[in-house]
Amino acid sequence: MLERALLSPISGRGEQGPRQLARRRQLVAQNAPLVVAVVLVVGMLAIYIVLYAISLSAFPGTFEAASITDHAIPLSLAAVGQTMVILTRGIDLSVGGMMDLTNALAALKIQGGFLTEALWTVIILLIGAAGGLLNGLLVAFGRIQPILVTLGTLSIFQGLALWVLPSPGGHVATGYTSLFLNPNAPSALLWVILLGLAWVAFRRSRLGVQIFATGNDEQSARANSVPVIRTRLLVYVLGGTLAAGAGVALATTSTGGDATGGDVFTLSSIAAAVIGGVSLFGGRGSAVGAICGAFVLTVLIDILFFANVDPLFQPFFQGLFLVLAVGASTLVGRYLMRRR
Amino acid sequence: MSERDGTAVKGAELHKAYGGVLALDDATFSAAPGEVHALVGENGAGKSTMIKSLAGVIRPDRGRVLIGGEEVRLRSPQDALRRGVATVFQELTLLDRMTVAENLMFGREPRGVGRLIRRRDLPAAAEKVLTEHGVDSVDPGELVENLPLHQQQLVEIVRAVIQQPKVLILDEPTSALARREVEWLFGLVRRLRDEGTCVVFTSHRWSEVTDLADRITVFRNGTDVGTHDELSEEDAVSLMTRREVSTAYSQPEQGPERAVVLQAEDLAAPGLHGVALALHAGEILGIGGLEGQGQQELFHALFGLTPTTGQLEVRGKAKHLRSPRDAIRAGIAFIPQDRKSEGLLLSMAVRENLTLPILGQVAAAGVLRPSTERTTAEGMIEQLHIDARWPGQPVGTLSGGNQQKVLLGRWLLADSQILLLYDVTRGVDVATKQDLYSLIIELAGEGRGILFYSSDTDELAHLCHRVLVLREGQIAQELDGPGIPTEDIIGAAFKEETHA
Amino acid sequence: MSSTAETPPTPSRLRTTLNPDRRKIIYGFAAVVALFVLGDILKPGFATASGIQQVLQVSSFVGLVAAGQTFVILVGGIDLSVPWVLNAAAIVMIAQASGSNGQLWLGIVVALAIGLAFGVVNGLGIALLGVPAVVMTLGMNGIAQGLSLGVTHGLTCSGCTKPPPMTLVNLMTGKTGGIYTSLLIWLAVIALVTFVLSFTTFGRRVYAVGNSQRVSHLAGVNVKVVTVALYGLSGVFAAMAGVALAGFGGGATVGMGDPYLFQSIAAVVIGGTYILGGRGHYLGTVAGAIVLTTLVSVLLATNAPNYARDIVYGVVILVILLLYGRGRSEA
Ligand SMILES: Nc1ncnc2c1ncn2[C@@H]1O[C@H](COP(=O)(O)OP(=O)(O)OP(=O)(O)O)[C@@H](O)[C@H]1O
Ligand SMILES: [Mg+2]
Repeated sequence: MLERALLSPISGRGEQGPRQLARRRQLVAQNAPLVVAVVLVVGMLAIYIVLYAISLSAFPGTFEAASITDHAIPLSLAAVGQTMVILTRGIDLSVGGMMDLTNALAALKIQGGFLTEALWTVIILLIGAAGGLLNGLLVAFGRIQPILVTLGTLSIFQGLALWVLPSPGGHVATGYTSLFLNPNAPSALLWVILLGLAWVAFRRSRLGVQIFATGNDEQSARANSVPVIRTRLLVYVLGGTLAAGAGVALATTSTGGDATGGDVFTLSSIAAAVIGGVSLFGGRGSAVGAICGAFVLTVLIDILFFANVDPLFQPFFQGLFLVLAVGASTLVGRYLMRRR
Repeated sequence: MSERDGTAVKGAELHKAYGGVLALDDATFSAAPGEVHALVGENGAGKSTMIKSLAGVIRPDRGRVLIGGEEVRLRSPQDALRRGVATVFQELTLLDRMTVAENLMFGREPRGVGRLIRRRDLPAAAEKVLTEHGVDSVDPGELVENLPLHQQQLVEIVRAVIQQPKVLILDEPTSALARREVEWLFGLVRRLRDEGTCVVFTSHRWSEVTDLADRITVFRNGTDVGTHDELSEEDAVSLMTRREVSTAYSQPEQGPERAVVLQAEDLAAPGLHGVALALHAGEILGIGGLEGQGQQELFHALFGLTPTTGQLEVRGKAKHLRSPRDAIRAGIAFIPQDRKSEGLLLSMAVRENLTLPILGQVAAAGVLRPSTERTTAEGMIEQLHIDARWPGQPVGTLSGGNQQKVLLGRWLLADSQILLLYDVTRGVDVATKQDLYSLIIELAGEGRGILFYSSDTDELAHLCHRVLVLREGQIAQELDGPGIPTEDIIGAAFKEETHA
Repeated sequence: MSSTAETPPTPSRLRTTLNPDRRKIIYGFAAVVALFVLGDILKPGFATASGIQQVLQVSSFVGLVAAGQTFVILVGGIDLSVPWVLNAAAIVMIAQASGSNGQLWLGIVVALAIGLAFGVVNGLGIALLGVPAVVMTLGMNGIAQGLSLGVTHGLTCSGCTKPPPMTLVNLMTGKTGGIYTSLLIWLAVIALVTFVLSFTTFGRRVYAVGNSQRVSHLAGVNVKVVTVALYGLSGVFAAMAGVALAGFGGGATVGMGDPYLFQSIAAVVIGGTYILGGRGHYLGTVAGAIVLTTLVSVLLATNAPNYARDIVYGVVILVILLLYGRGRSEA
């Protein structure tokens, strides 16, 4: 009886062959949002190339590729930071404020020789980490909803940014900008690829797994020996650091510093993450998707330009696109779930 | 092992209060290596609280916890795990957005370059673990949220066992399991015991307790009231409740053949193929079969929760149910298995939970009439003897049995003539079960038609006038009662496999 | 279970009426009083009757937007489209009325209808398509912005730069019986919203859906209809605020709705509404709106520079939440 119970109790799955296929299908279904995001990027780039070719009778070259990547970098960084936080079922509204602050600091301080520039880059990133730590402490120990914490710190960071740079001005040293900007080659693409690879490794680290667990269910994560509080703290620190990086990148890729230039990134970083398939309910998503989302949103602006859309109507099409893209992705996900 | 006092794990004089509620009140429990020790008691007696204290999930306000005879201060579940105590909690703790493999291998993933997890190797590693433990019905690549509850429970058990604990604690492990899986679990537990593991488990099914346990400890009102090697069900129940409760099943009367209230022909939905059934007024019609053979799908279909094809007649009128609202309007009520996530608005008042489907009746032109609503609710509280202090009490603070009554009361207020009861006694203690049985019989006696699914075959056998056994989404056999032999139901459920 | 089961104490009348949710509302109003006292110390004359009325009047705009926000947050949603729905409604009203009193009512009706339309689309996207509320309403905000700017050529069209009709201006800036008329309107809205939430079947269903969509659905509540209705209402309230602001501020301007996004959310949550839905009252939101506005006014009264105001604003929000947001664990 014991033998029987142990050996053949509860069987009932198929053969090896079809199972391999089933597993592949399963992987696709489980990662449907990411797949949709990649399809979107490819589709958007195709549309862009066609429109470009039609209106300029030429194909886009390195310059265009460089321009798109340059513009996508700040949003990519911000969206990856946002993704980390969203994965723990949080949200970071202070991204915009942090980018204001770090953008202003970068425009004022990153100049005057390699050493000072490097030093200030580190300082700015540390400021981002500190801001993130403040968020994290309030969320983890203050037990206040992330959306409220970051609503408060958003205002604080915005104020600090205005204090640092009361009126637009300053600019990043030109030597430094070539780190990101290179009109002749999409060198910035290297940064993006590095960011993506870093994520792939991170996802496979202990902390990476713990972030997913925390966002999935706090109680269960605890029962699985996840240090939930520490994980939350680190996530906001990482998010703040990445937002600071985004602020520096923004200062580098734009002509001058502006203490309100980062504001739009609060919402667009969320949009990029969601287009990239990151679930706002936590525990599901990928920074690679968020980077795709950032590129989709960036290419969209170029597409609207080449489609001769009145710039005043631009927000209309951006909004429409956001709704349609996410709506479609939701429906595709549902379909894949049902088909199995 | 722990020669000092022969206990593997012990909670001594534990106290734990939640707000004003004393969950543990000077409770002591200890279990020895190489024994299977059952912890029994009514809902809310403090079993889970004791277990959580031993597992490091909560810290008792007072008292001592000993593992292997040594006093310990457990700060977290991993503290307990490190000392050899692995626990399967009553509320499952799987990460549902991750795969079975990720869950099973959590914290012990195969790692490669730079200590990074080799995600690709996860499913194979998990598959190996699962088959080693005799579970091959679960796909390791599947997301946990897509698994039926009983399979989640299997994964949870295996995950605890592979920690190779000295003490394995299982809090109501069988309430979600199918019969075969229970057998599997018992085999596993016995093997572990023979290897010297201490196994602690809780269950509300007495047959399981006597089957498996070497010793039994009874809890009542947050404290232990005795440990026994041998205990009859009657004695146990009177220990648990301090009152005499008959544990013999009351049987429904064999009503005269009455009108058909619900008739389905060729009903089909995902997981359900061509089901035909007729439910009569005054009848308790049981739905049996192995876990996951289309029972849930059938109930969902009859309540308008899934798109279905086929004909459905409710009290002689053809109906097409597109939503629960359609079903409710047709006089159908559904009481789901999981009252916490599907039945009740836990933080809202008993009164508000009772009147939710009949808001129109306690309002005029969309404006609520508080006094009408209150009297309506109070009437039902009285009728069903719901133990609520006042109608405004949040329903989440009631005991499980009383919550279940609120749910029934809701549909009685809505005057539902057809009750779909889906595993309503799951996790309910013996005494409360008896209350529910007599209530169900009474409701049927008043002429309602009741469709009754239970994962407990004994219940089906005793309570139902007829039982339809489902297999692979179809009705495999119809058994007439009341008083159907339990073996017949099991036999019908298994039939095909005994041939194979 | 144990000790209490035997002697069930019925909670006192005071404890049931003063449950934690209601206590939060009282704290909110206490904070308002404290802020006025503080303001009066910093700048004597701040807390005079007229000073207080002025602050309240400004609060009413936040309060209107936050009424809609309260509705959607009660079901665990959020409305990020308020800035441009508000703005679009203001523009439409101004253009339709075109400065004449005769066209005013039509203008208001059209403006509210537009608010309703945007809200309903939000609700449909969320309830039927399953798009997350954050994304749906963010997208609709862009759509409203693009349409407003595009159709009016960046608010340069002839009709949209007109001043608001005098009737509206008088209504928004004038007094009735010594009290600002706009305040009386807000009072009526407060009474209505509170009544709807607490004493109607619709209100009950809102709380039910906010507590659990699944349970509500299984109990026969039409979750989709409730959701769509709530977002529709949020659109209407945003539009109302737009009309009121246009009358108060002398016309429609680009970006006039932007400050109201975060302010409305902050007012709702400072007022004690649970961001994940199911618990909260509009009265709390009202307290929240007044706290925020008073805070800004106090900061203005101190002549603090802009940046300091932002910082203090953020710090005070966090301190308030730390004081009574505790115990509500994150997500
Ligand atoms: N987290 C909590 N907050 C408040 N009260 C709690 C909490 N956990 C348990 N309780 C209360 O403590 C008492 C004991 O609960 P416990 O879960 O230990 O009972 P149990 O014996 O496991 O019951 P069951 O058989 O239903 O699982 C109950 O009255 C319960 O309502
Ligand atoms: Mg328990």
